[in-house]
Amino acid sequence: MSVKRLVGFLLGWVTLVTAAHLWLNADWSALWNDRLPLDQRKFNVAYIPVT
Amino acid sequence: MTDYVSRRTASGNIFLPKKFQGFPEIKEALIADRMQAAFMVAPMAIALRSQGVPIKIVYLGHRYGSAVVVRRDGPVHSVKDLVGKTMAIPSRFSDEHLILVRALKANGLPRSAVKMIEMPPPDVAGALAVNAIDGFSMGEPFPGQAEMGGYGRLLFKAQEYWPDFMSCVLVVRQDAIDRRPAAVQELVDGIARSGLWLDAGVANREHAADFVGRYYYNQPPALLRWVLTRDLTRVVYSPLAPRKADFDLVRDLMLETGLLDRPIPFEEYVDTRFADGAAGARPWVFSAASTAAQ
Repeated sequence: MSVKRLVGFLLGWVTLVTAAHLWLNADWSALWNDRLPLDQRKFNVAYIPVT
Repeated sequence: MTDYVSRRTASGNIFLPKKFQGFPEIKEALIADRMQAAFMVAPMAIALRSQGVPIKIVYLGHRYGSAVVVRRDGPVHSVKDLVGKTMAIPSRFSDEHLILVRALKANGLPRSAVKMIEMPPPDVAGALAVNAIDGFSMGEPFPGQAEMGGYGRLLFKAQEYWPDFMSCVLVVRQDAIDRRPAAVQELVDGIARSGLWLDAGVANREHAADFVGRYYYNQPPALLRWVLTRDLTRVVYSPLAPRKADFDLVRDLMLETGLLDRPIPFEEYVDTRFADGAAGARPWVFSAASTAAQ
């Protein structure tokens, strides 16, 4: 495998993993909510997994 | 539950739920305004308000739903057998602590008869399983988890020593109440509707166990199903309006145990207008077979 192909493969892999991470693990709704004007934000409500 | 169902209504979800593992972390997040509202144990909410933190209790999360559990094959068969034992509680500022104190007192025992240690609720069943503690006083589903796992035995349910027992309450920051009362009302309405829906029958509770276990609690739906449906009075979700008599009892127990240094009046830490506004709420129209809710 040439160096050029190896670098291309690694870049593709890193891009894929990064995209999957951002899709699965980032809380976009919370990030978006924090940037809304105060009167339009949804409340953040804390809970613990207990009745 | 309210988040899951409200997302399926035409108006969409009304808040962003954030899962925590312990009440102290919730307290800090609330003080720092990272959370505008929170479900927390009632004594902690009262203590925070007493210390000047600008929050108000606006609704209850449920009634009953807490129990004292001991080792299944252990020597404890009555409250009097708890003398000298190590019991886990979620916090000194919790109803689960106070119910233990109340049970000890009813059996002629002082609080010091039992060694109480604070432990995050998700850790207690595991601690009991490996004999790190002799028992715990905690909210569901952890008593159910210990029972289902075969290593825990229910010593008593909270309502046996405390009729109309309540534990988690909904608190909202005062600035959120002042600036956006309509949003607070929408949140309280949603919780009231969820409570009525949960108390409408076993089928709804089974459905709730499934989606709450998978998407919110990260717990086996079978455990929540067991807790919610084996005995429908184990946890009840209506009525949830805060009543002065219930809170006076909590406050007096807190004074008695040194958790409060003054008899803070009900009106100073509870705002009942949102519960009044939710008085005519109707249960959600929602079922396992539908993808939309009303």
